[in-house]
Order: sequence, then C-alpha cells, then structure tokens
Amino acid sequence: MSVIKLTGGRVIDPANGVDDQVRDLYIRDGRLIAAPDANDRISAEYNISGRIVMSGAIDMHSHIGGGKVNIAREMLPEDHRGDPVERTELTRSSCGHAAPGTLAAGYRYAEMGYTAAFEPALLPVNARQAHMEMGDTPMLDTGGYAMLGSDDFLLRMLAAKEDQQAINDYVAWTLHATQTVGIKVVNPGAISAFKFNQRKLDLDEQNAFYGITPREIVKVLSRAVHDLGVAKPLHVHASNLGVPGNVDTTLGTMDAAEGLPVHLTHIQFHSYGTEGERKFSSAAARIAEAINQKKNVSADVGQILFGQTVTASGDNMVQYRNAGHGSPKKSVIMDIECDAGCGVVPFKYKDQNFVNALQWAIGLEIFLMVDDPWRIFLTTDHPNGAPFTTYPHLIKLLMDRSFRNAMLDTINPDARAMSNLAGLDREYSLYEIAIMTRAGPAKLIGLADRGHLAPGAAADIVVYKEDADRERMFEKPELVFKDGELVVRDGRIVKVVRGGTHAVKPEFDIGIEKKIKPYFERFHSVRMNNFKISDDELCECGGGSKLIAHACRKRG
Amino acid sequence: MTDEATSTVVTEVACPLCGHACDDLSVDTAGAALAVVAHGCDRAVSGFARLGAGSTAATPRIAGAPATLDEACAEAARLLAASAQPVFGGMALDVSGARGAMDLVDRAGGVIDHMNNEFGWRASRAVQDGGGINTTLAEVKNRADLILLVGTDAVSAQPRFFERCVWVKETMFDLQPASRRIVYLGGGLDTQPGHSPDGRAPDVFDFEPGRMPEALSVLNALAAQQPVAGDAPLGIALARWQALADALLGAKYSVVVWTGPAFEVSQLDLNVGAIVSLVRRLNVTTRCNSLPLAGNDGDLSMGAVHTWQTGYPMRTSYASGAPKFDPLHNGIDRLLATGEADALVWMSSLNDLQAPPVTDVPTIVIAPPSLKLAAEPQVYIPVATPGMHHTGHFVRTDKVVTLPLQALRRSALPAAGEVAVVIATRMKEMQS
Repeated sequence: MSVIKLTGGRVIDPANGVDDQVRDLYIRDGRLIAAPDANDRISAEYNISGRIVMSGAIDMHSHIGGGKVNIAREMLPEDHRGDPVERTELTRSSCGHAAPGTLAAGYRYAEMGYTAAFEPALLPVNARQAHMEMGDTPMLDTGGYAMLGSDDFLLRMLAAKEDQQAINDYVAWTLHATQTVGIKVVNPGAISAFKFNQRKLDLDEQNAFYGITPREIVKVLSRAVHDLGVAKPLHVHASNLGVPGNVDTTLGTMDAAEGLPVHLTHIQFHSYGTEGERKFSSAAARIAEAINQKKNVSADVGQILFGQTVTASGDNMVQYRNAGHGSPKKSVIMDIECDAGCGVVPFKYKDQNFVNALQWAIGLEIFLMVDDPWRIFLTTDHPNGAPFTTYPHLIKLLMDRSFRNAMLDTINPDARAMSNLAGLDREYSLYEIAIMTRAGPAKLIGLADRGHLAPGAAADIVVYKEDADRERMFEKPELVFKDGELVVRDGRIVKVVRGGTHAVKPEFDIGIEKKIKPYFERFHSVRMNNFKISDDELCECGGGSKLIAHACRKRG
Repeated sequence: MTDEATSTVVTEVACPLCGHACDDLSVDTAGAALAVVAHGCDRAVSGFARLGAGSTAATPRIAGAPATLDEACAEAARLLAASAQPVFGGMALDVSGARGAMDLVDRAGGVIDHMNNEFGWRASRAVQDGGGINTTLAEVKNRADLILLVGTDAVSAQPRFFERCVWVKETMFDLQPASRRIVYLGGGLDTQPGHSPDGRAPDVFDFEPGRMPEALSVLNALAAQQPVAGDAPLGIALARWQALADALLGAKYSVVVWTGPAFEVSQLDLNVGAIVSLVRRLNVTTRCNSLPLAGNDGDLSMGAVHTWQTGYPMRTSYASGAPKFDPLHNGIDRLLATGEADALVWMSSLNDLQAPPVTDVPTIVIAPPSLKLAAEPQVYIPVATPGMHHTGHFVRTDKVVTLPLQALRRSALPAAGEVAVVIATRMKEMQS
C-alpha cells in the first residue's frame, strides 16, 4: 500500500510522553503506522526537519452549530461584512467574524491546525439542526454535548424521586436519541425556573414549581454520566454566571459532584469575588487552588479577549439579565420546548473597561495558576469570550511573559491593580500547549485514536514552522493532515474533506421508552419517534458525515 | 413506522405543507395518490394527494422538447454559465434541497430569494434591529394562559394551531387548557377556533387591519402605564384596552402570536418592533413571549441553511465571489423588473401551486410535475417531493425543531437538491 512519510520533524506528543524528539512519521490508509512493511511503498515524502509536529488540535468547547448560533448569524450582518471568505476553485464562499458561517468556520479551524471541535450546548430538541450545521462545517470531526437539567422530563423524575437507575436510563436514552458524546448542564434548573418567572437560582435554591435545587441536578447527572461509563465528565455551566461573588457557587458546584468527575466550563465567568471599591474582584486564586486539590475536577477557561463578539448561551435567565449590556444593543431570548432555552446578546469587550479588563486578567490568572495542564483547557467559549480565531493570540499570551506583561500595561489601570497577573512568571511550554489543545481534550472526551501520534492513531497531524512569535507560529501551520490527507499547506486549504461525528453508545434499558413515549404524546409537540435521530439519519443530517461510535463500559 | 407488516398505512408522518409541521399524520400509500387518513388538515389531504403521485410521465424538457436529465442539467449549466446575474426564486425546499441550491447559487454567482421572503426579510431585519423574546410550540401548549393573536387567526397560516397547541387535553403545570384566555387583535379574522371547548368566546378587538400600528401603540402605552388620548382608541372603549393590558400584566405566561404575511408590507417592521417592545415591557415583571408563525413552503428551511452556511440570510448576492447581503437591492422581483437579472431559476419541491413569474430572461424550472406553468421555460426538470418520495428535513415555525421527512413511496424523479448539485458540477466542468 502507499505510505506517506513525514521525515525529521520534532515531534511533541504528550499522550505518549514524547517531548520534542526527532522522529519520522508514517501514514497508511489514514492512520499512523510504526514503519512501512514489505508491501508498502512511500508515495509521498515531506521533509519537515526542524519543524514542530503535533497531532491535530481539538476544541472541546466551541459554539459552532445549532439554533442559537444561527440566530447570532442572522442577527449580525454587521459582524460579517468585514470578514468575507471568497469562493475559490476548491472552497465555497462564506463570511463572518464572531458568528461565521459553517463553511468559514470549518476552513478557518483547519487553517489553524484544528481537526475537531465540539458543540457544547446541543439542545436535545434542536439536535438535528446542530448536526446539520456541524455536517456543513467542513474539515472537522464534530460532536455535541446534549443539554439536560432544565428539561421537564428530568425535573419531573427528580420531583417524583425516581431512582438513579431510571435517571441513568433517561440520560443514556438522550445520548442515543441526540447522537452526542457527552452531557452538559447549563445553569442547572434555572432555565426552567426562568419560565416560572424566577430571575435567579442559587445552588441550593429551589425551582419554584419542582422544588428541585441546582445541587441535586448536578449530583444526579454527574452520577449518571459516571455510571454509564461515558468518558466525558458532566460538562457544567454553573449557576450565577457573571455575578460578582459567584466563586462560592462555583466551588459549591464542584462539591455537588461528590467526588465524581466533573468539568466546569468557561470557569473564568464563574471566578469572581466582591472585593474592592467596585465590589468586583478576581477569585482566580481560590478557583485554581480548588482545581489543584480536587483531582475529580477539570475546567476550560473561557478566556475573554478584547473586541467585538457575540454571546450565545443556553442560559436564558442570565442572558435576559445581561441583555441591557449588549453592544450593539439587541438580543434574542428564547424559552424552548419544555427542554431548554437560549439567549443571544452581542458584546464588545473593552480593554479600558474595568470589568472587562479584569475578566481578561482573571482568565489568564486561572491558566497560569492551575498546575496540571491535563485538567485545564484552552477555550474562549467561542464566541462568548472571543472568536476561536483568537487562539494563536491567546497561546502567545500564555507562552510569552514579556508580551503578556506588555499587554497588561495597556489595560484599565484599576483592573491591573486588582490582578496578580504581573507576578505570575509562568510561561507555558509547547509541550503544555500540546496537552491543553490536543492530548487533554482527547483524553477527556474519550477519543482513543485522536490527540496523539502513536501507531494506530488517526493521522490528524499538524506541522508548524518554529517561530519565537507564537501567535504567528500557531495561526498558520505549514501542513495539516486530516485522516492522512494533506488538507492545508502554508495556511491555505488544498483539499476540502468532510469529518465524522463522534457519539457515545452507553448501554441502557430501552424500557425507559415506556415512560418517554406517552410523555411526548401528552405534552410535547413532536412524537418520540420523530425526536430520536437514528444512525442512518445522523449521516443524512451531516450531509454524509460518518458516525464515529464510542462504546461505554458501565460503572454503575 | 407502519402499524404492522402488512399495512400500507404509515403513522407518525411529518407534514411539510405548512410551518407547523405536524408529525402525527397517518398516510395510506396503497393508492395512486397518497391519502392522509388521520390527523390531516385540508391542506395536508389535498397536498399529499396532489404532490404524492407515485408514477409520472413527466420528463425533463429543453425549450418544450423532451430531454434526458443529463441533457437538461447540461443546458441549465450552459444558461447559468452565460448569465451575469442569475436569480433563484421559489425555493420551497427542505434542507437537502436548500443545500443543493446553495452549492449552485455560489457557483453561478446568483441571488436566492424565497417566495415568502417579501415578509421574511423584513422579519429578519426586525431581529437585526432589536431581537426579541420568543417561545416555541410545546411551551405554548403547556404554559400559555393568555394568547394574544396580532392581526392573525393563526389557522389561516397553520390550520391545526388551536387543536395542537391550545385546546389540548392537559398541560404539565397548574393550568387547565380550557381556561386559557384568547384575544384577537384586528378584524377580518376567523375567530371560531378561538372558542374554548366549553363554549367561551374569545375577546375580539375588531378594527381595520391597517390600523395595527395604532393598536399596538395603545397597548404599549397602557402596559407601560402611560396615558392614552381619547376614550375609545380605534373605536373600542379604552376600558377594554386597559383590561387587556392588565390581563397581560397579570398573566403568568402570555404569548403574542404574529405572522408577517398578515401585516401590510409597509407596516411589518413597525408592527414587529411594537410587538417586541410590548413583550420586553411585560417581561420586566412577568413572563411573555412572541411566537412568530413562519416556515410555510420551507421558507425557514431555506433561510436556515442559507444563514448557517454563509452567515447571511437570503437576498445575498454571490456575484462578486464573496457574499454581499443587501435585502433592499437583492429582491428578485426588483432585479427582474429592472432588467438587472438575466436568468431565472425557479426551484420548488414543496409548492406546486405558485408558478414562476413570466419573464423574458431565460428560465429554468425545477419543480414537481403537478406545477402548472404559464409559459414554457428554456429548461424544465420535474422533481420529487421530500416527505413523500424521499427523506428530508424540515425546519418548523419556531426555528428550533427540525422534523425528519419520510420517503413514503418511490418516484423515478430526482430530488431538487440532487439536480442542483448536478448542474453545479456541470458548470464546474465547463469552467475548468
């Protein structure tokens, strides 16, 4: 068979403990092999001596598909005008900065060396659309985390004190029905509470109708995900996002998982104290200390970067509250199908604004104070903190202390005075960046053949030219291979490919449908059988994307 | 999902014939026409019968003469390659049809404008100007205690609205469906479906539909506790207006239903803006949501795909090689009337009642064989219908739920999206 050889690159492959070692890589039939055998011939060789080689980057939290993203696109023609993607012989035209079209998003991710991205807030009832949008996002493997926790079916189960086994079956059923790879909870129970006109919901506060607290929801869902053997820990967007003093809620949410694996997402937005004249301060140190101590906890940062963006969230309660801060001042807030909700608010982060500047510093403090790069992930919560296209800039902030301090000198001086960022000397290494953007996400989500470069792995490979300017280095890799095919050369698409869709397939008792089917007929607007997405239909939704199914080993 | 192996009746069929997308139809596939035998409204029964024929003698035509599909696609590609500004109208498609159309319009450097988009683009502009607070059908079904229908009776657009969302047997919460309060704003509406099962009549504010902006101003003022001039705005006692405002403020979960085509075009932005303003005001103290009714003829399916692939809504030109959104300039009626368009592609797999405009420019029609044409186009390609002959996906009125469409019977005809992709491929071959 024909084999592609990458010769002489400096390989950084943390999953296999390889740190900057010169190695030759061989690709056969889309996968890495140890060495060609007698029947193989080298059909193409790339001399990449001196170049840095990593596996394809994986964005474990990026809002790339689904109803709220499409609302953001529709709402923001002014966002798109300055960022056109012109049609070429290979690629289609598209556009957009904060809320790009799926085509623009796929091309740009690939041009930056990303080969997978995961939509973290896939509403079960909107799953088809999310998969269709991700299917129309070329170049990338995709997957979604299904949102539960404000859906009336689960809340009714909790109110009826149904046992954990029944909840596990419902969670597993949801993963199958929505073809997703994990479970997310957004402001637990509060999207439902907002529909009953509650305007806030603390960790131990009851939903007015169900009498259920966020803490209970986090507890049962983290247990369900664990018991079912789903690799990805429960993805938690904690209560009280953006509220000064929410650090206590966040720490309490970690404890709500009672020692089981739990992932706190965009934790920057949940790391605020109430010190200082303006009653808004950094609680990054407390958060980082907690993550360092609690080995069951992981987090992604949700770094903000200055400029125009749009916030798109399932958290309609918080988005409604913050709509007045929108810039430009417009917003869409939705209650959705006794299932979830959403809110879309454009936002401009300003470096001279005290709060925004401190948010920027808080995110970086968390990155630099969390010791274990396997449990902290590089995200901007695209597009909520900044568009994903800012990742190379963010990497430079983490790797280059003098650059970071120069930036720090330019922000709002009161915010600078409230931050300990200037005292943090740490500079991330390439090895640590590779953990945070490749090996770590693959391990967390359970993608055994991604995020590393050992024989047998999928040949998603990125080749960078070493550059002291890390932003320049990471924004334009020289070569990107997706499943063994060269798809990007010198930062330009040379071949358009369609990725696959990751989904987990936990075992469960199908008898749960005896409860779900009549629920749909009595209270819903669609039938259960039209809610569920079969494997065949998933591929049709994805425009031909193939299903990458992951079995789960039950722990319950 | 047949009842049993021997039955020819398929159950839980989703219907693509209006934006409500009911998914509880039963359809008998045994006869020459598809017969909706349960849960079909008039539109569904006639639509499945008309569009759902199994066999057809229809073939592609070039200038009226029978042609093969390949020949017709090649001719369409030639016409589009020769066109400087082609326009794409009709566009009553499901998601797969829309995906194919997007591939072609980008290649051809054209503009897409749906047959309902004279209203649709203005509704989009309202989102771009201010946004809104919206809800979806299952929330209405379970929570709505007061439903205010603004200028629409809902059933003209979506016949089973009251049956499926309002006068249901039960709700999940402490609300008796029959106790819901129904209020119509505007005259000339079919208010009969608004009567509760126990015979309670709806509250009807009957006035000339063109005065809707005034009516919404009155409600906005009263909801904001501002004075209103006169004791009978629009000829209706102020006390009734006040009672309505009080009811909205007192409701736990009111829903304001509207639909673009029910408004005078020139007033659409104004009315939608006023509805958004009213809903925002009410949410200061209680919950209130809009429910825009749309999705008919696949307008939301086409619109959603257009927006997610390229970032912009329809009325975007691809002529320059990059998308340029200009909804005032890019209306296809205007482009055809001024002579700026030099080819018309009419694509429709869901609507066989609205014929393409008669125009002097070369016309390519990709539509079901049951569509009656006023003039013979340069190229005609008959296509199958999603949800009848092939699988597909349909975006429902609330822009949240997408229903899977089933293939109920085979057709020898291709799907519209496949045809578009073949034409785009032919164009690519010509250009390379």
